Amino acid sequence: MNIEKLNSTKFEEIIYEQECACLVIFFRKNCHVCKEVIPELEEMEPEYKDKFLFYSVDIEEERPLFQRFTMKSVPQVLFFNKGEYRGKIAGLAERDDIEEKIAEVMG
Amino acid sequence: MAKEYDLLIIGGGPGGLAAAIYGGRAKLNTLVINKGAVGGLATTTREIVNYPGYVNVTGPDLMKDFKAHAESFGVEFLKDEVVEVDFSQEEKSIRTKKKKEFQAKAVIIACGSEPRLLDIPGERRLRGSGVAYCATCDAECFEGEDVVVIGSGDQAIEEGMYVTKYAKKVTVIVLHDEGILDCNKVSAEKALAHKKMEFIWNSTVEEVIGDEEVDGVKIKNIKTGDSKTIACKGIFFWVGMVPSTKFINNAGINTDQRGYILTNEMMETSVDGVYAVGDNRVKYLRQIVSAAGDGATAAVAAERYIDEVKEFNDNISNSEKTVLLVFFDPKLAESLEFLSMMERVNGTLNSKFNVVKIDVSMKKNLFKKYGVTTVPAIVAIERGNVFERVDPALDESALLKKLECI
Ligand SMILES: Cc1cc2nc3c(=O)[nH]c(=O)nc-3n(C[C@H](O)[C@H](O)[C@H](O)COP(=O)(O)OP(=O)(O)OC[C@H]3O[C@@H](n4cnc5c(N)ncnc54)[C@H](O)[C@@H]3O)c2cc1C
Repeated sequence: MNIEKLNSTKFEEIIYEQECACLVIFFRKNCHVCKEVIPELEEMEPEYKDKFLFYSVDIEEERPLFQRFTMKSVPQVLFFNKGEYRGKIAGLAERDDIEEKIAEVMG
Repeated sequence: MAKEYDLLIIGGGPGGLAAAIYGGRAKLNTLVINKGAVGGLATTTREIVNYPGYVNVTGPDLMKDFKAHAESFGVEFLKDEVVEVDFSQEEKSIRTKKKKEFQAKAVIIACGSEPRLLDIPGERRLRGSGVAYCATCDAECFEGEDVVVIGSGDQAIEEGMYVTKYAKKVTVIVLHDEGILDCNKVSAEKALAHKKMEFIWNSTVEEVIGDEEVDGVKIKNIKTGDSKTIACKGIFFWVGMVPSTKFINNAGINTDQRGYILTNEMMETSVDGVYAVGDNRVKYLRQIVSAAGDGATAAVAAERYIDEVKEFNDNISNSEKTVLLVFFDPKLAESLEFLSMMERVNGTLNSKFNVVKIDVSMKKNLFKKYGVTTVPAIVAIERGNVFERVDPALDESALLKKLECI
């Protein structure tokens, strides 16, 4: 996994204090759908260098964070900008859908 | 420029990987294009207990072995999705989502199948907020809660039992009469006796209910027509699979109504040089071992086909003598008579020609290539180029005269 992992402290910092435009994938190690979405994100990340940041949260390590966003499954990609939650894509997210959502979130 | 391969395999599940192992071993220049995780559906399986030689293995581990085996024979892999194919020429063309183009002498379609969506209200909207398709991924999220399972096949019942490890109760919605499940007997007995499992018979789902997350599901009894809502926090949809074969829609490949590809026992489709293996073809048993068996058969058939095409092309372009391609149908007496007449005439002319007989039932691609529509037919070729079509209606002496002056 090349996408930087966040714990709850880092999560607060990046999303709500620094108000970064970013996405966060919530995943679990043994989830096969996650294993399809993560490589897609890894491939996309360099294209968005410095403009839009990519992070990940391992839900087994950060349970409360997962529960906070009324999520019931992994993987889910959550989008944030200016300290606000801007929506999510659940399940087998296609690259096109993610790109579209990033464009929308960056405005 | 499109990159060229001998053998191109679309799909990297067990069927495609087995074909790749055989293709690589036969020294065919082989590429596997696979859109998801290599290993396909088999990677989604926690426990495999029926693959020969492995008493108990996880899907991802078994598929890692398959892939490493293929790589050891020099097979190449590309992570991409095939979106368009053109099988009308001898060289098959393939285009991917990332806009790459490839050409191949033979193609094996091993795309497997994907979960069928019911597309009922709420299903899409609440995906990830209670609507789920993967027990391994999501069962834990429903610790101590009520969960509904839709379907009664192997996957629904076996995965449903896995969910009971976490959920308070699992209610299974079944289309059939009481006691009838589509899954295997062993699982059915276990499930029916399971303390945490309940069944609602003769019913389908109409709607998933909830604003932010799932609160319940509306079900309808198909016998009485009555609808009712049951409360739950999670719904797993396991209502069967559909073949992932949409991209071949206009390629002239025969399928059944549901999109499963029709093949013969050599895995040949209705297009020469194109084969189908594994879950995406019409077959009796959809398992890893049978997908792998299909893959082996198809790769060997493809190898032979590639050899035959090459031999034929070499024979024609290198022939010192003028080549006469004689197209015939072995089922027709007049076709066979015509063949013997051709042999006699060529004998009288001291074997002036290199006569190549082409069986209509075997070599459909050559018919297309040489524009032949009826049998018998004769096409004369010199140094690889067609230079004359001989009228097959001529009688023996007229034919002799005609061929004398070619
Ligand atoms: C829950 C579950 C449990 C199972 N348990 C067992 C078991 O215990 N034992 C057993 O033998 N079998 C089991 N099976 C069945 C087995 O997984 C399948 O029969 C087998 O995986 C079929 O292999 P395949 O190669 O035909 O297709 P798949 O495994 O479906 O692979 C097809 C591949 O093609 C890719 N693909 C699709 N379309 C395209 C495209 N256009 N371009 C590029 N790539 C594409 C897909 O992403 C996928 O990777 C199980 C299945 C499930 C769902």
